[in-house]
Amino acid sequence: MRRSPAFEIFRYAAIALALALTLLPILWMVSMAFKPIPEWSATGADLTWIPRAPTLDNFRFVFGQSTSDLIVALERTAWRPILASLLSAVFGTVIAMVCGTAAAYGLSRFGSGKNLPLALIQLRLFPPMAVMIPVMIMWAFLGLIDTWWGLALIYGIVTLPFAFWLMKTFFDEMPREIEEAALVEGCSRFRVFMKITLPVMRAPLASSALLVFILNWSDYLIALLLTTKNWVTIPVYMASLSSSMTGQLYGAKAALGLLAAIPPVILGIAIQKHLVRGLTFGALKQ
Amino acid sequence: MSATEILPGAAEAAPRTIPPVDRESRRLGFRLTLPTQLLVLFIAGFPLLMQLYISLTDWSPLDGVGWWKAWQSWNSFANYTDLLEDRRWWGALWRTFIIMLVCVPAEFLLALGLATLFMDDFPGKRVFYSILLMPMMVVPAVAGYMFFMLFQSGGPFNGILSALSGMDIKIAWLSDPTLALVAVMIADIWQWTPLMFLILLAGLVGVPEDQLKAATLLGANWRQRFFTIMLPRIKTIMVIALAIRVIEIFKIFDTLYIMTGGGPGVATETISVYIYKVTTQDLIWGYVAAIALVILIALSVLAVFAMKRMEAAKNGGRA
Repeated sequence: MRRSPAFEIFRYAAIALALALTLLPILWMVSMAFKPIPEWSATGADLTWIPRAPTLDNFRFVFGQSTSDLIVALERTAWRPILASLLSAVFGTVIAMVCGTAAAYGLSRFGSGKNLPLALIQLRLFPPMAVMIPVMIMWAFLGLIDTWWGLALIYGIVTLPFAFWLMKTFFDEMPREIEEAALVEGCSRFRVFMKITLPVMRAPLASSALLVFILNWSDYLIALLLTTKNWVTIPVYMASLSSSMTGQLYGAKAALGLLAAIPPVILGIAIQKHLVRGLTFGALKQ
Repeated sequence: MSATEILPGAAEAAPRTIPPVDRESRRLGFRLTLPTQLLVLFIAGFPLLMQLYISLTDWSPLDGVGWWKAWQSWNSFANYTDLLEDRRWWGALWRTFIIMLVCVPAEFLLALGLATLFMDDFPGKRVFYSILLMPMMVVPAVAGYMFFMLFQSGGPFNGILSALSGMDIKIAWLSDPTLALVAVMIADIWQWTPLMFLILLAGLVGVPEDQLKAATLLGANWRQRFFTIMLPRIKTIMVIALAIRVIEIFKIFDTLYIMTGGGPGVATETISVYIYKVTTQDLIWGYVAAIALVILIALSVLAVFAMKRMEAAKNGGRA
């Protein structure tokens, strides 16, 4: 459609403003991550948007090097929280994807488990906080408190609705002809699922898995309740940094926040095409 | 075919099964859905019964007895009657609704405005689009920390206000009860407007171009095109976007808790923050179980009601 020049100017001005507001908090954190200690809490007229003396000290610090005599080196470094975040998010994704994909196929093709769509929507609807008492008791009983596998299990359950709904819409749309041809050839239905359907659905499977991974990686509340020391995840560790020391460790926390924020942003851009479908429970596709 | 469509099966159970389901398929279908059924049972079946049982007692993990012996501190329905008079609970509920009432419309209007600007192609569109989506991918706890830094009294937010007004502004945002709530809302709007934008734009792109052209030829102005063609076409999509945000704000925790911890005092304490505090600080789990059950029942009723409405709309011939 043709647009008037006035509209174009208005459009670019509005978008420029939106971009500025979007980027401001992110850029401040990036800038903070590279600031040396004296610039951390510079205020008023001293407010520095670009570090005057950029440094990697904050990153060195969270990984355990003492970089200045102003602060003591950390007793517990960021390595283990990063490992905890990775292990719990990856294996949580595996649980959600394996169970969710199988169930979605069972429902989409054979009409099994008709109760699942509503049950899983409800699971999604509930605030995690409202089911955490029994979960904490059960996890304690099973010895899963403060373990990455305990976190992975609850992550797998919490993101199961996403995996299920997403894969269900993909299976619903997939043409049946390929599967039917293989059935005529004499393959069992399970072989068709394993050898034909899943390989054909590689791309949707990958983007669903990435979305589920992002959601698992982003959790804070559940890890806060179910881990205490050995397997705290990055967000919990980041939040605890300030309280264990005197004063705020602005730069160190920003460095850690930056490290935590990068993977989902990159993955999110990679699966942009499927984001709408994923986040609206398959009600919409792009 | 339009770029965006509403898929069948968004609310119905099984859209189309291969008609004659033989024994082999039935057995395979059962086996494929079994792990998920078991997980749902594991997280929803037994825990709910446990929650119901504990909610009728004064049990606390500090009691030194297992939860199954909670009957020793049986208190009938005292937890539920206490809840009716718990001012902190009503305050948290109220605050959650205030945040919802401010943030959802704000996010919706901002997103709708932005989405209409992105309907046709222009140089730089793809890059701008990707950047605008970034906030929703930032880990919420990290977003909370970003805004914690922004709203420090010597922080950049006041810095910008000072630069704009020419005065030296030093507002302690996060330690003022009202402003802390405002700050929390700003953070939520920053992070979740992109989600609404994403969904609404997907809807708007599906509005057929020729309809808009025809309307233009017939002399419809911008406003008429917007209200008579575009908005009605994306009605369902708007409802979905709004519903998602309402549900999510009801659970709001991560960003807010990192920014204010629910404070100052209880000024930004929402439902989730309140439950979290009673769980971890007061440790009266019997009471927490009662609160949680009330929320679960209320939401279940809402969910079933919403599903019914959606199906009724479908049967009523919604396109």
